[in-house]
Amino acid sequence: MKSAERIEIDRRYCKGCLLCQYVCKFEVFEPGQERSALDYRMPRVAKIENCRVCGLCETQCPDMVLTVVAKEKGKENP
Amino acid sequence: MNPLGEKYLRKPFLPFLFCPGCGDGMIVQSFLQAVDDLGVIDDLAMAAGIGCSAWIPVYMHADVLKVLHGRAIPAAIGLKASRPSRKVVVFTGDGDGLAIGGLHLLHAARRNIDITVVLVNNQIYAMTGGQVAPSTGVGSRTQTTPYGNLEKPLDGCKIAVAAGATMVSRWSTVHTRQLTRTFKKALNHKGFSFIEVISQCPVQTGRYILGSGAPQFNLQWLKDNCVPVKDPSRWGEVEAEGKIPVGDILQIEKPEFMEEVQKMNRKVKDEAEAKGGDR
Repeated sequence: MKSAERIEIDRRYCKGCLLCQYVCKFEVFEPGQERSALDYRMPRVAKIENCRVCGLCETQCPDMVLTVVAKEKGKENP
Repeated sequence: MNPLGEKYLRKPFLPFLFCPGCGDGMIVQSFLQAVDDLGVIDDLAMAAGIGCSAWIPVYMHADVLKVLHGRAIPAAIGLKASRPSRKVVVFTGDGDGLAIGGLHLLHAARRNIDITVVLVNNQIYAMTGGQVAPSTGVGSRTQTTPYGNLEKPLDGCKIAVAAGATMVSRWSTVHTRQLTRTFKKALNHKGFSFIEVISQCPVQTGRYILGSGAPQFNLQWLKDNCVPVKDPSRWGEVEAEGKIPVGDILQIEKPEFMEEVQKMNRKVKDEAEAKGGDR
């Protein structure tokens, strides 16, 4: 099973629509308190260990700010 | 910014002017994914009119023609006529493509000229403040129909099929992967391809017609109401239930207009030469 090393959210362009939280079936995201450069409340990556790198949040992000970086194969947890 | 955006977006134009939760950004991404998979960014030439959806091509690092309201398809036909090697794509909205530019759509489909038209349907005139559009459903309350809309909506896909388009599909912004696949097919298709994308507009459609301005609610509405149907003959059953059927409708081969023009030119030239060069 694939797992994610990190999920990057570009704070320059995020508009805080929280569609990433809505489309994610594994509850990786939650609403955060930090504000983006456009003054919207950004989502927060809460449970990175749940992520299976399906890429749905990436393809459904309307501002193209999400990048899911998968763990390399050798480094995966046993 | 994800890698696709880093590669293909014009950085000084960012951020997108779309509202938070708008579907147009998803269409930018699906289209760029298709372009990236095919590697045709240098062959692209795009045209757009006026409206929210007409801003989609402006953010991409490719040749873009921004023209008068509703006149994106004639501009694209001119572009195709002068540069037949280019892949010409038109981004248009329901006001731009079905209302003010409706007849251009009919005649481009009738000629079967090799362009791709992407019609983004958000069921309202969103940029001007939420007036009733030709694609607004019966009974919808908008700024200009406060007691409910009485007019029946236009179905862009059926119009394109009737007018003679050779590739017709409809998807929604929920189906981004299917959309990418369809964009790839359309870019490789020889002839007029028409793709309707049902998109969410939380600010206008959501607040006035559906009852909530939350992007999550609007996406859920699309998920519940856009039913993927494989067999186009079963679309009527889904429509009878009051839902929106989505899927690929048809893909056929027909003589393409610009090729026919070139063939005719050659024929006339040959005949004139056979007569003794007096042209």
